[in-house]
Amino acid sequence: MTAELPVVLLVDDERHILSALRRSLRREGYQILTANSAEGALETLAEQKVDLVVSDQKMPGANGIALFAELERSGARVPRVLLTGWPEEIPAGELRKAGVTALLPKPWDDAQLKSTLRSCLAGSA
Amino acid sequence: MAAGERTRSEQAALRVLIVEPPEEEAARQPGGVLDVASALRRLGREIQLEVHREPAVALRAMAGGHADLAVLDQALGDRFWSLLDAAGSAAAPALVVVRASDEAFALEAYRAGAADCVRVGSEFGDLLPIAALEQLRRVRHIRSKGAAARLGKRVDDLKRYNEHIIQNMNSALVVIDPGARVAYANPRAERVLGAEPGELEDEDVRRWFPGLPPEEILPLRTLEDGHRFRGAEMVLTRLDGALIPIGLSCSPLVDSEGVREGAVAIFQDLTEIKQLQRQVLQTEKMASIGQLAAGVAHEINNPMGFIHANLCQLSEYLDDLQKVWDRVDGLRTAARRERIDGDEVRRAAADLEAMIGEVDAAFLLNDFGTAIRESLEGSGRIREIVRDLRAFSHQDTTQRAPTDVNRALDSTAHIVWTMMRHSVVLTKHYEELPPVSCFPVQLQQVFMNLLVNAYQAIEARAEQEELRGEIQLHTEVQGEEVVVRVSDNGTGIDPQVLGRIFDPFFTTKQVGVGTGLGLSTSFNLVQQQGGSLHVDSEPGRGTTFEVRLPLGEEGDP
Repeated sequence: MTAELPVVLLVDDERHILSALRRSLRREGYQILTANSAEGALETLAEQKVDLVVSDQKMPGANGIALFAELERSGARVPRVLLTGWPEEIPAGELRKAGVTALLPKPWDDAQLKSTLRSCLAGSA
Repeated sequence: MAAGERTRSEQAALRVLIVEPPEEEAARQPGGVLDVASALRRLGREIQLEVHREPAVALRAMAGGHADLAVLDQALGDRFWSLLDAAGSAAAPALVVVRASDEAFALEAYRAGAADCVRVGSEFGDLLPIAALEQLRRVRHIRSKGAAARLGKRVDDLKRYNEHIIQNMNSALVVIDPGARVAYANPRAERVLGAEPGELEDEDVRRWFPGLPPEEILPLRTLEDGHRFRGAEMVLTRLDGALIPIGLSCSPLVDSEGVREGAVAIFQDLTEIKQLQRQVLQTEKMASIGQLAAGVAHEINNPMGFIHANLCQLSEYLDDLQKVWDRVDGLRTAARRERIDGDEVRRAAADLEAMIGEVDAAFLLNDFGTAIRESLEGSGRIREIVRDLRAFSHQDTTQRAPTDVNRALDSTAHIVWTMMRHSVVLTKHYEELPPVSCFPVQLQQVFMNLLVNAYQAIEARAEQEELRGEIQLHTEVQGEEVVVRVSDNGTGIDPQVLGRIFDPFFTTKQVGVGTGLGLSTSFNLVQQQGGSLHVDSEPGRGTTFEVRLPLGEEGDP
């Protein structure tokens, strides 16, 4: 059964954020993977099938947009959600180029987080 | 402009406007065709003749007001009277050539405003220039009288003008007699000192500087030895006792033989300027804090993010645990009955068991604790950030205090660190330092400025090449000074620019990024503490700023 659960990859350098996201999504029926950097996320994505990536924007090394842009370059189709406290700071052009499916504010609202992830997964299915 | 024109016309030739009748008409009249122009030409070159044959054109010329004398011929017929009127309106005397032998026409002409009449006849050629000359002399006389009157008026105007300047100048002006008393004070001086008009007269200027020894009262020194001062700053006591900062210039007042008769003091109230200076400092402080605010906000936002999410979850956990507790209650009720119903108890226990499984109570209890621990850690982080920020906002900025420079540097670096921790490695070499007497807030402002600059230099270089940003903080005692160095491996500063970086408003940053006041303010702040700020930089390698602060004596206030 587990194999059929959608796989969601959470990326943030702040492990308490990962832990809180995991808590929020506990009842959503996802298989949850985590990475604490863009580089770590790319490794995971290379190793296994992922249905959705949720990434923080500001991280040491490559940031969230850079991670998504890299996915776009490699032709990945996986939907991606950017988590940022300053969404207005990212130009619309960059969002488009990085193929960002949805933006989520930080701090996030639990209900909005859940519905956004659901609709992203439904859209890709 | 008007005065200039008038002067020009006084010197210019006099203009005589001659209006001649049509030749056939003149020929029919006594005297026949006359050559008025050549008769008047004998008056010389100063007289400019303008001959008109078209009465309409002559009228226009007259109305232009350029004629000093009009010569009109009776033979002009109907047109004569309108031309005479026009000469009157243009204030040009009219000389009338009379053809008729009786006096009736001449009388009529005089009544209508003619200045003089000359009858045609054998002596007409001589009489006309004489009459014309007489009229022109009058014109000239009237003009020169006007000129003299105007000259007198101009001298008066000039006097009034000078007085006006002194009365209305934006600076206070006081003339002081050799006995140090006020001989004259302009209204501005009265206002600055808070005096009624005339109240300052004969006032001893020493009263404005109570408690100051005479040799420090600059106007007295000017009286004493003729010394000039420009832009000196003093504190003046107003008549109401209020103290105000002034900028003062003094020069000796000498008569035409060069003997000193007193002194002239010009001063400005600097209260507003001083306020502006303080505002500039405040603006700069706000600008640096603004740069930090973004970094600090990011840093607070992360813990806020997970604390908020955790609280939402804990509220759900509580709902689930409540369901378990409700089943516990059910079980307790069943177990408390006087006659225990074994089936009921077993059902209640099974309910409880099912609910514990459904909500995964073991996980909830365990994770409840974890979520609280993580949230507490987050709130602790926020508390620390706020505590560091408070160091900036709530300290007394006006008092010198024995300061632990290492701590001032470290807590500032800690705040700035929040915004650069992703791209910069910070290394610290702190030597043990004795407390330094200084203004701690200003010192922190300087450190913050240097750190933000270092960070920006690193960011700028990192945009062009792969870079591991490094900032080194170094403190030590050298002789009688404490030395603080902030070094970065950013872009470095162009040698051509290096000499100007401490100038106010000089900036190489984009519009909106820098105020151009950061380093000049830092420079002034360090100087205020009796210290100095130095820079050493190499383009492409990095920059080191060095703050040197005097240790001062033990127990220095």
